[in-house]
Amino acid sequence: MVSPFYILIVGLGLGFLLGMTGKKQAALTNMLTLFAMAFFTGVSLHWIQGLYTGAFQPSMVFSAGFKPPFSISLFLGMHEAVISLMINVLGLISVWYFREFLLRDSKPLGAVLLVMFMGLNMLVFTRDLFNIFVFLEITAISMSGIILMNDNHHAHAAGFKYLLASSLISAFYLLGAVLIYFSTGSLYLDDILTMKSAFAPMALIAVFLMVIAIVIELKPFPANGWALDVYEAAHPGIGAIVSGAVTTTMLFLLNKILVLGSDKIYLLTASVGALTFLFSNWMGLQQKNPNRLLGYSSIGQVGLVLAILGMKPVLGDGVEMIGFGVLLTHFLAKAGLFWLSGTVKGSSLESWAILRNNPVILTIFGIFVFALSAFPPFPSFYAKWELIIGLSGTGNYLLIALILLGSLFEVIYLFRWFGIVVKAESEESDSGIEWGKAAGPALFALALLAGGYFARNYLSAPDMMNFIPLVAVVVLWVLDFMPAWAKNTLLLAMVGIYSWFYLPQYSDYQLIFGIIFMAGAVLTLLYGYSEKGKRPGFYPLTAMMFAGLIMLVEATTLFGFFFAWEVMTAGSYFLILRGKKSQPHALSYMLFSFGGALLILAGFAMAHAVTGLWTLDALVMDSPLSPVIFIMLTLGFLTKTAAIGLHIWLPGAHSEAEADVSPMVSGILLKAGVYGLIVLFMRMGTQYIGGVDLMVILSWVGILSALIGNLMAAMQEDMKRLLAYSSVGQLGYILFGLSMMSNLGWLLAISGAIMHFLYKTMLFQAVGGVYSRTHDRMMYRMGGLIFRMPMTFIVVLIGIIALSGVPPLSGFAGKWLSFNAVLQKEYYLQGALAVLAGAVAFLYLFRLIHAPFLGQLKDNLRKVKEASLWILLPQYLVIAVIMAVSTVPGLLLERIGKLLAKTFPDGGLLWVDSKIPFGARTAISEYGYWNGTYVMLVTIGIFGILLIVQLLMQRNNKKVGQFNIVYSGERPSTPETTHHAYNFYAHYSKALGFLMVPLAERFWTWISERVHDIAHQLRQLYNGNGQVYLMHIMFFFLVCYFLINGGF
Amino acid sequence: MNLTIDKIALLLGMSLMLIGLWGGFTQKNLLKIILSFSIFDTGLNILIVALGYLPGRTAPIIDGSAVTPENLALVAIDPVPQALVLTAIVIGFGTTALLLAYALKLNQHKKSLDINQFTDLKW
Repeated sequence: MVSPFYILIVGLGLGFLLGMTGKKQAALTNMLTLFAMAFFTGVSLHWIQGLYTGAFQPSMVFSAGFKPPFSISLFLGMHEAVISLMINVLGLISVWYFREFLLRDSKPLGAVLLVMFMGLNMLVFTRDLFNIFVFLEITAISMSGIILMNDNHHAHAAGFKYLLASSLISAFYLLGAVLIYFSTGSLYLDDILTMKSAFAPMALIAVFLMVIAIVIELKPFPANGWALDVYEAAHPGIGAIVSGAVTTTMLFLLNKILVLGSDKIYLLTASVGALTFLFSNWMGLQQKNPNRLLGYSSIGQVGLVLAILGMKPVLGDGVEMIGFGVLLTHFLAKAGLFWLSGTVKGSSLESWAILRNNPVILTIFGIFVFALSAFPPFPSFYAKWELIIGLSGTGNYLLIALILLGSLFEVIYLFRWFGIVVKAESEESDSGIEWGKAAGPALFALALLAGGYFARNYLSAPDMMNFIPLVAVVVLWVLDFMPAWAKNTLLLAMVGIYSWFYLPQYSDYQLIFGIIFMAGAVLTLLYGYSEKGKRPGFYPLTAMMFAGLIMLVEATTLFGFFFAWEVMTAGSYFLILRGKKSQPHALSYMLFSFGGALLILAGFAMAHAVTGLWTLDALVMDSPLSPVIFIMLTLGFLTKTAAIGLHIWLPGAHSEAEADVSPMVSGILLKAGVYGLIVLFMRMGTQYIGGVDLMVILSWVGILSALIGNLMAAMQEDMKRLLAYSSVGQLGYILFGLSMMSNLGWLLAISGAIMHFLYKTMLFQAVGGVYSRTHDRMMYRMGGLIFRMPMTFIVVLIGIIALSGVPPLSGFAGKWLSFNAVLQKEYYLQGALAVLAGAVAFLYLFRLIHAPFLGQLKDNLRKVKEASLWILLPQYLVIAVIMAVSTVPGLLLERIGKLLAKTFPDGGLLWVDSKIPFGARTAISEYGYWNGTYVMLVTIGIFGILLIVQLLMQRNNKKVGQFNIVYSGERPSTPETTHHAYNFYAHYSKALGFLMVPLAERFWTWISERVHDIAHQLRQLYNGNGQVYLMHIMFFFLVCYFLINGGF
Repeated sequence: MNLTIDKIALLLGMSLMLIGLWGGFTQKNLLKIILSFSIFDTGLNILIVALGYLPGRTAPIIDGSAVTPENLALVAIDPVPQALVLTAIVIGFGTTALLLAYALKLNQHKKSLDINQFTDLKW
């Protein structure tokens, strides 16, 4: 067993020795430093191994054999060993990272680094309060020393402010340590702890002084201006040390001393931490310098850990593990990001775009960003879950709100940055990454993944999840070097095998949505064969989205549902981000989804707190909180279904995505929100708030989404935007149907969901086929494509007939159902608007076929070919399904009806046999009856007769060549104004324009501007003057003092 | 109130701390700020020593007559605070030296010692 004192001895001894070696021995110095740091790491590992196997007991070591207070005491248990391992590994990598300075400069950087890491280790081990002061000062001084060795004068100014602040902080601490000695006669933490219950007033003040000093070391808002400058100006390697090692040590130290504090002091710490988390992330919104941004993010994350540690009296000892989860993520990700920063030249967020030239580095960067944003499978995700569950169980809703708002702000700037890195213009084609410098980030990224794997063991919720779908992600990631067709086949095979084994196990709604998601995967992947090349990264991300979707369907627990929801969000975000111009839209998709996910998390946590269950049945409850939970969860799911007001992300995200991603995120992904609503409504039922039926409000939201979504769709010139807005409308119908909470309403909604999946997948693929040939999405630049792409034309034609609800196709069934449901529910006004919305739907659908396919063939499209087979194949598969369910509607509707009868036994359709031999059945409702097969036969008959008549009459027609019309020899300079289909519905726009004022867009823009304004106002606090920062510290100290002693 | 030596020392320590703080917050010259911090440190050290002093007691040296191991805790002054102050003085020295090194570097760059000149990094 190696005594931890050897770290002290080696650190100090070598530190002094190396200070004396000259420039000539630089190589030797470097090697010795590396060895010493490796020795530190070895000691930590040695202890961890010993403690783990039970060879060592957690032990207290006293210096020189004396007992306290005449000796220094070091304690080494598992916690200490793990924290010191983290610090020492970071130290080891830092020495490696700094090696060019160590080899080049005569400055004794290595010596100072050693002394500093020795100090950090001792801070972790020591149980002596005065000793803490000494090592605090040693680390502060050596840190300032390292900053002074920078050649950058900004860093010098920052270092000066840092040292001034440190001096003031350590004075607080020293006073506290001395006072506690006077009051208790001891400096030995464990002795003092035994006296805690009988503390004199002086001891209370002493504890306050010590705690507040360490809290200020942890850079609380607003007393943290001095630290931000260091993050911005000092070498990124220093940023990694401050953000990773120093804060980790300080947090551990704080946790050690906080034990002395009263509940009031804990509460103060928690409040300070939560406010720091909120405001620091808020101000981060305005940052343009990546290192300063990382600084704000670091301060925010540490604030979160502070808040968690401060909740110990409320939440119990479990908070240490939660705090450790957040801390570990912060430690690994922030150090890794600072190290990456060292390889990027330039100090703008855009300059990081260079990272994307190397897929490995880009992956590492992505891991850090997702880990910091607390996405699965990283430790922070589990910590966030546990924290919110715990806080909600104890009724700390304000704290939940603060923390969730703070994490939303953090996600905004992190993903804005991520989007810039993936998408911004960058001329550099070479990544210029020095592999030596990337080794640390790579190691830490792996550690994050490993940490996430182990974090599962600390979950308090039962974790019954099927992780098999995620295997596909890993496999495809590993095989990403293969050509696209091979990966496509592989993923298709995996989807097929998975469906074969698992789909039969599902039942009810699970089965319906499981089929939508898996069939959707097959349909969209078939399209993927039309893509050439490797499509790097596409397949693992697609697999991730579908894995999330299928896990969502399989989820039986709250945790499983939330986990799957986040996996799906992450996967779909990446897919959307792949589009050429999709960066801002992907960001707004991410923000709405993340905000929605936070509401879902909070809602689940509150539901668990009410019922104590971990399964989804926790939502079955009757409590005063139910309406609140209901609203939060509904809002969360409505962000995904893009209800009006929450829809502004959708048009851009769906239209700018790649051709085969659009059907995935539109036809398939939106159904996840519908599934969520079904899961929720099934369990919570109708809720009232102040006597108002929330379902009635939702029915209005649904119907307005339908009307306005359709109107907006009618005014688009871009084919894909048209389809995107049409989704808003269609999902509005589905919400409307669900909100009726009746058998027919749900039948409408669920069959609507299936139909929307089919139509939207097919139409987006058709439009993708057109784009693949014309490279254009603007309808006014096309025309006459019926001559060149007849197969695609047929698809669009069928799609339009089906979608607009004209007999005989399945859309008519939906219309018939909706009338019946509305009458039954007596929703007359909504019903009238639904009819209006249906009429508007026809308008936009007509444009989609009229502008590109009919009329005169454009010159530039004269040589366009039909879309490729792989693009057409899935569309015709869908047509086959549509024809089948249109001809025999009972196939679908009767089965769904049976399922719905379990939830809504009354008011369903009655199915009876008809006289047609092949089993077509008639549906009977209160108001009438309908037989899809009859309708189909009659329609085919009428159309057949008309077709024959037309063919007979056409013999008299005279063909007119396309060029009988000329523009008097002039070429029009604005082609859109000479196209009859441009601004086709100008007249409607005049009449109904008031409905299309982009209120939602203005509202969210207004919110965004205010939030950024406030961030800008807040950061004026940090005016750069070191003295002002000192006053902030003093002010912070005094406010805390009066809060504690003046009583809360 | 009797102004005994310990009370005078207490007052002196506190006054020096306040003076130091005032200087640190108001002086614009880097050197004066550093000096103010030294004064603040000194005040703190005096305060600690004064807090540790108990009137009427003697030095904690066991000489066998006035102070014996048995009556040590009753007649002698606790030496620990003084020892702590010694350490604090050494550390204060280190900090001051480093602050001065910073002032030197800053002055080399901007030819100024005014703290308002070094606010390039902000927000």
